[in-house]
Amino acid sequence: MWELLNDPEVLARATPGITRLVPQGVDTYRATIEVGVGPVRGTYEGQVRIADRAPPERIRLEVEGGGRPGTIRAVGELRLEERDGQTLVTYTGDAQVTGLIASVGHRLIGGVARQMAVEFFKALERELAR
Amino acid sequence: MALSRALGARIRRREDPRLITGTATYVDDIVLPGMLHVVLVRSPHAHARIAALDLSAARRAPGVVAVWTGDDIRARCGPLPVGPRIREMKVPRRYPLVVDGVVRHVGDPVAAVVATTPALARDAADLVEVRYDPLPPVVDVEQAAAPGAPVIHPELGTNVCYRMTFGEPVDDALGGADVVVSLRIVQQRLIAVAMETRGVVADPRGGELTVWTSTQIPHVVKTALAEMLRLPEHQVRVIAPEVGGGFGSKLDVYGEEALVAALALALGRPVKWVETRRENFLATVQGRGHVEYVDLGARRDGTLLALRVRVLADLGAYSQLLTPGVPTNTGLMACGCYHIPRAFAEVTGVFTTLPPTDAYRGAGRPEATFLIERAMDVLAARLRMDPAEVRRRNFIPPDAFPYRTPTGATYDTGNYAAALDRALQMVGYAALREEQRRLRERGRYLGIGISSYVEITGLGAAAGLPGGRWESATVRVEPTGSVVVLTGASPHGQGEETTFAQIVSDRLGVSVEDVRVVHGDTRAVPYGVGTFGSRTTPVGGSAVYLACQRVRDKALRLAAHLLEASPADIVWESDRLAVRGSPDRALSFAEVARAAYKGARLPPGEEPGLEATAVFGSPETVFPFGTHVCVVEVDPETGQVHVLRYVAVDDCGTVLNPLLVAGQVHGGVVQGLAQALFEEAVFDGQGQPLTASLLDYAVPRATHVPVMELAHTVTPTPHNPLGAKGVGEAGTIGATPAVVNAVLDALDPAGVEHLDMPLTPRKIWEALRVRRR
Repeated sequence: MWELLNDPEVLARATPGITRLVPQGVDTYRATIEVGVGPVRGTYEGQVRIADRAPPERIRLEVEGGGRPGTIRAVGELRLEERDGQTLVTYTGDAQVTGLIASVGHRLIGGVARQMAVEFFKALERELAR
Repeated sequence: MALSRALGARIRRREDPRLITGTATYVDDIVLPGMLHVVLVRSPHAHARIAALDLSAARRAPGVVAVWTGDDIRARCGPLPVGPRIREMKVPRRYPLVVDGVVRHVGDPVAAVVATTPALARDAADLVEVRYDPLPPVVDVEQAAAPGAPVIHPELGTNVCYRMTFGEPVDDALGGADVVVSLRIVQQRLIAVAMETRGVVADPRGGELTVWTSTQIPHVVKTALAEMLRLPEHQVRVIAPEVGGGFGSKLDVYGEEALVAALALALGRPVKWVETRRENFLATVQGRGHVEYVDLGARRDGTLLALRVRVLADLGAYSQLLTPGVPTNTGLMACGCYHIPRAFAEVTGVFTTLPPTDAYRGAGRPEATFLIERAMDVLAARLRMDPAEVRRRNFIPPDAFPYRTPTGATYDTGNYAAALDRALQMVGYAALREEQRRLRERGRYLGIGISSYVEITGLGAAAGLPGGRWESATVRVEPTGSVVVLTGASPHGQGEETTFAQIVSDRLGVSVEDVRVVHGDTRAVPYGVGTFGSRTTPVGGSAVYLACQRVRDKALRLAAHLLEASPADIVWESDRLAVRGSPDRALSFAEVARAAYKGARLPPGEEPGLEATAVFGSPETVFPFGTHVCVVEVDPETGQVHVLRYVAVDDCGTVLNPLLVAGQVHGGVVQGLAQALFEEAVFDGQGQPLTASLLDYAVPRATHVPVMELAHTVTPTPHNPLGAKGVGEAGTIGATPAVVNAVLDALDPAGVEHLDMPLTPRKIWEALRVRRR
């Protein structure tokens, strides 16, 4: 599981909306993400950085990007722990958004984030099964 | 003596056919050959330093003619005007685009892209690359005023723009009261949401600059543009075509007006900018935005002793035309309708990293009425007295006028108890209280809310700018006897084409159809002021009245000369001027007008023509008043408020047209009710607007509007010849506290004393849930 989460190709495949993830130095990637928040659809260019990691338990990501509908700065943390022979993954995140995503999309953004997380972990499960 | 029954008649608005058939011309309808289009690049951050600005891609984009930043504008345009002057006020200079590399609210304009079509300009604007280094946002007005807050304008050294006090400090008197009611009230920010957004077209051709703009004050904009752009004022013409609502948000001189004009001058071509709805939520001034602390002291029998008010006014990021002045009305009017022996108000204007606030329907008076009317209800509840009784006991009595309040206002005339009694009688107050008692026994939440207000109209524009407590009018009688009125009071929906024609009809005997009212074009009408603060009828209408009197006097002199009689012997009936006692020796008004222009048989020393200009100005402001009563039922399961009855008794002095007065009250009440129950401009902790669309900002729908029962008492003012006081904002001022008082009266059995607006179902439901635990 830890390896999957540290494989850029897997992340690119599993993260909904990522159309491009190019390594750029140590633990830094340039990303292109297409995502729709309610009526606000757009493409965001940005940077994903692994800010902190404690293998095989914890990884902390920082995302910074922008596009026509606004900008986003987010931090997310994934924690892995073993429970009954399986890996329990918990995640937390905090995002600051500006522009249309904030003013028009804010009521939907929580739901969209949750849905994207669900898709991400389903995709990870598929990757595990490969 | 009235010549016709036009004054006071229920005449339908003459401007409505063109408005409801889509044939009226608004700024966006203006299309000129070779016209270019502007799109502004606006900040997505509430507070940030511009680290890098790359215009190269935008400049290369198809159809792009120019891309400007703050440097380009500062070379061609001075700062925006700021008024009024308040002692020791600290205000930053603001330009049409950010000039110092720091953005201070979401929507602050950074660059302007000019292209051959609006779509090409929009596409190119997306190519402007701006990199921002975020600075700490300052969103909360109390935190902004506190020591140690990040300073938004470093050159000022503080976020406090000014502190202004009214009356004398009253601590000991409050201490001596049997009961002191203390409240913290939040006057939420509101957005005017005029149906027509702002828009500007500037045409530099033909040796003059013509600017069409959706404004309430074309003459003030003209002078400001001449000064900002350093042009001779005679080369600047400003036209306010049809204006689709303002509510104070167009009582301003905006950066976009100067920017579009500067671009047109620099490029030598007509340039247009039309605000998008989203920009309207970010870049047009907003209203209210106060945190208020109120202490009201009284005797056990309900007699008021002292009032102390502290207002923190969120001015937003910059001072617009009237930004600092608006909250001062709250201090001035804090005593409301009541005789309070001692009162003290302190108003502090504070900058935050939010869009600027400025006038919004009522402009400081609704905030004053709300705080005193809420405090009166809480006082009544504490004393277990009837809220109507507490009010009646403390009203300034009718024989006390003119009455000077401890905060410095001098009320002209009033009979506050008469309006209250009429409203209570209309609503059936005693029976309603009985019904409320019965329903409460069954667990139902019926509430009755009273709001007795007094407000202030006939105000002037900003000091330091042309335009004060006056208005101009020219009454021009054409040779055929039809009449043109040129007025400086530029309307945006008030219906003055109807009421001013009624004044002329009343004074000169011509029919309303024979009068045309021209406004809004600085080249066509004498210098004037504009429409705001419920001033159009009392100030603008009085100027029309005075001009009519001059025309009337001259027509009488001419008729007397032509009929070989003394002017004192001329009887003016309808449109005929006859010699008293000899009805066959008469001339029609049209014949007198014809003779005036022929100029052949004029009395010695009399000039040809039949026209007069008058300027009505008064150092005195006037004080409309009234009582609104709202009846609601609150559903405790959902927190939903149902408005069951709405009674408004307004006293605006002389009523020129009951239909138009009713229209103003209807619209005003809806706007006031909207603040009470629905509307709030919400920002997150980063200063991001969360209600920047019509999906999120809760303007009321038709189904939210209650049936209103209206009536009037008539207490004319001595300060103008019409005796009219104005009614444009009264509905808004009266409604908000009436609705909130009704809801909180309904919640009284649950022990809920105060809730801040808007009283959404969720807020009410949560309050009830907490109390039930």
